[in-house]
Amino acid sequence: MHVHNYEKLWLGASLLLIVGFISTIVYGAAGAGITMVNDEGGQVNPKELGNTSGFDDPGVTKVGPNEYEVHIVALQFAFQPGTVELPANSTVTFYVTSRDVVHGFEVAGTNANTMVIPGEVSQITVEFDEPGEYGIVCHEYCGAGHHSMAAELIVREPSNFTMQDDTQTPTSGNETTNATATPTGGESA
Amino acid sequence: MSTPGETAGETVESAREMLPDNSFLIQYPHVSRVVRSLFLTAFVAFGIGAFMGVLQALHRTGIARIVESADYYTFLTLHGVLLAIVFTIFFLAGVFTWANTRSLDRPPVSKRFTWFWVVTMSAGTAMAGIAMLAGLLPSIDISADVLFTFYAPLQAHPIFYIGLAVFVIGTWLAGIDWFRQFLAWRREHPDERIPLQSFMVLTTMIMWFIATLGVAVEVVVFLIPWSLGIMPAPNPLLTRTLFWFFGHPIVYFWLMPAYLLWYTVLPKIAGGRLFSDPLARVVFVLFLLLSTPVGIHHQYLDPGIAEGFKFIAMTNTMFLLLPSLLTAFTVVASIEHGARQRGGTGYFGWLKALPWRDPAFTGMALAGLMFAAGGFSGMVNAGMNINYLVHNTLWVPGHFHLTVGTAVALSFMAGAYWLVPRITGRKLYSRPIGLFQVVLWFVGMVFMSAAMHRGGLAGIPRRTAEPQYPQVAFETVAGSVGSLRLQLAFGGVLLFVSALLFLMNVGLTAMNNKPARGLDSALPPALSGPEQSPTVLDNLKLWALIAVVLVILAYSLPLYSIVQGAGLYPAGQEASPAVIAPLLEVIA
Amino acid sequence: MTATEAEAEADSAVVGDDVYTDGTLVRDPDIEESLSQDEYDPKGTLALLLVYFLILALMWTYMYFVEFLGNGATVVG
Repeated sequence: MHVHNYEKLWLGASLLLIVGFISTIVYGAAGAGITMVNDEGGQVNPKELGNTSGFDDPGVTKVGPNEYEVHIVALQFAFQPGTVELPANSTVTFYVTSRDVVHGFEVAGTNANTMVIPGEVSQITVEFDEPGEYGIVCHEYCGAGHHSMAAELIVREPSNFTMQDDTQTPTSGNETTNATATPTGGESA
Repeated sequence: MSTPGETAGETVESAREMLPDNSFLIQYPHVSRVVRSLFLTAFVAFGIGAFMGVLQALHRTGIARIVESADYYTFLTLHGVLLAIVFTIFFLAGVFTWANTRSLDRPPVSKRFTWFWVVTMSAGTAMAGIAMLAGLLPSIDISADVLFTFYAPLQAHPIFYIGLAVFVIGTWLAGIDWFRQFLAWRREHPDERIPLQSFMVLTTMIMWFIATLGVAVEVVVFLIPWSLGIMPAPNPLLTRTLFWFFGHPIVYFWLMPAYLLWYTVLPKIAGGRLFSDPLARVVFVLFLLLSTPVGIHHQYLDPGIAEGFKFIAMTNTMFLLLPSLLTAFTVVASIEHGARQRGGTGYFGWLKALPWRDPAFTGMALAGLMFAAGGFSGMVNAGMNINYLVHNTLWVPGHFHLTVGTAVALSFMAGAYWLVPRITGRKLYSRPIGLFQVVLWFVGMVFMSAAMHRGGLAGIPRRTAEPQYPQVAFETVAGSVGSLRLQLAFGGVLLFVSALLFLMNVGLTAMNNKPARGLDSALPPALSGPEQSPTVLDNLKLWALIAVVLVILAYSLPLYSIVQGAGLYPAGQEASPAVIAPLLEVIA
Repeated sequence: MTATEAEAEADSAVVGDDVYTDGTLVRDPDIEESLSQDEYDPKGTLALLLVYFLILALMWTYMYFVEFLGNGATVVG
């Protein structure tokens, strides 16, 4: 087959680009340790979240010296809880699921970003090194009020951080009605 | 507008006799009529879709909110479906009908069959369109606010899904029509190479047959029975995966007709010859093989899919860059050939020798330039872990407004300036307006798309009526969010004006009483002709088989594991909104 | 220049049947030559695409290592 030498050169350059792109991604995974959200979160029944460990009482749980778990329920049109507070220099695993339709979960200004699909649990572990205030937005169209679906994430200096109240701990005797609390993230201008 | 040397009494009818015998309209008046009717539907959809687009640009930036924010999503659904499905596919059906007939030099086998698929596609479009428009009228209990990406549990009225199914069946019939036309040609030419344009049509349609299996299963097996209340809600992740099985190759279904124009029409307009027919065939074969086993790259951030499957989809996607990069070389070398034949010199000086005053040329050239930029943002989208940065942000519509919104749409508009005189026999109403229009589209898209990409990097989500939240402060690298909004809206307005100018120019051409001239439908032969390539390239059965095997390899394990995870009909899934009362409950 | 003037100017210079979209191609027959496959090396194409290659490589590096890896908290598990 006749191919001009210049085009052969370009073919080589194109393959170099492709291999370069794939290598960069592999570096990101193996070198920088970036992990894709995957099937580790398992499945839940979206109508039974009130009886599902973790999602029955969404919020922050301390599980180790600098390790926290955050359970978040996405629903039309809010996140529960509407405010998440965490200390800096912590490793945080988010477990996010939906009570109704497909939602998105994006901590704006960071790479913490995942789809939220009813029946599936999105499990992502993120390290927060610096204090700061972030917005969490739903980036997947989820119905007529989609644009009002947001929450906030506050990363505090460790010295300023205390677990907000006892209901956030697994040992709490609080009712599980929180799972159906009024949306709090909603009032957009 | 009268031009010197033209007699006032000259009409299209008398001018038809002046058209050369080898002009398409004289040879194939009936096929010309089919193409005209397909283009008409495409352009009506384009006009409505473009209007929805400018409303959105003004709405989400907060500059003018004419509609309720809840209705924004109805407009967004209309914008996506009318432009990405109706405009593109009706137009490409016209281009393919023209190209297949022209290159095989014979009409389709049966006029009735041809009109049958035109009517089928139109009927499906009308049904889906009614369902979407009814969403604006609260008094009618029909809606389809599910956007272009229609997966469960968001639910549309059954008429929307049925309309889509009918439409897709229409496209299948169209493909069968083009294959019958080819097989009839083959019987008379048993030993010849497939003419290039027909080769492009046929490989694209094989790709489309394979790709649409995903959406056919999604719609017919799951969504229609569910929306009718016969079956429970399907596994949302499964419907997403089936949608994207189709949702990525549809991108190449839009792009291939633009490539067909770039490979076969653009060299002629530039005064050159196609640089390499063999590589053009290789490129279309690569697209047939690689377009479908990549859809999971739209699901990099989906839970429930193992990272390994995502990585495989990524490597396939990256290799899918290859045919587009090869296209860049072959197409640019073809127009450079034209420039050099017309006195162009130097490494870059030859660019001045191109026919920049021709809107058909300039439109396609600018479309190609935009595709180079859109190619880059697509490379970022294709990168697996960097997807965390851009997924579902404004970056993504920024990207596809460069690709489908410019590389495809602008090539189609430029192609229409060249093709419409050939299927009507009427002179283009105004070349200067056409030229201004294609440049305006380019400029509008520079503003809008650049603002979208930058907004996306700041984390601003896509598909959102009011991306202004009390809890969230988006931070841009340079410039303020306010200035990005202004640029986005300004670009959107320019694009809408450009769309109106295009529709006006084409509409006035259709009514123009001046005859088109010089419509020789022959295309110059390639510099490196098909005889310089192995005949195995024309073995369509072989490529179709390999394509199917690749799809099975790429999808069987992910689909198996998704169904293993939550099942086909997981407990606790519920339609939103419940469009009609579930039939099972009504009976009970 | 109005549309009419542009057309008039273009029409007066029409050469041949192989024409612009609207039948008004401007062509100078003196500089026109036929370039065969052996006589033509697309050096301009190669030059343009090498520039594109450099842009892609630089932009990719910037996007990945500055915009992405520099974008704060990242998913590591």
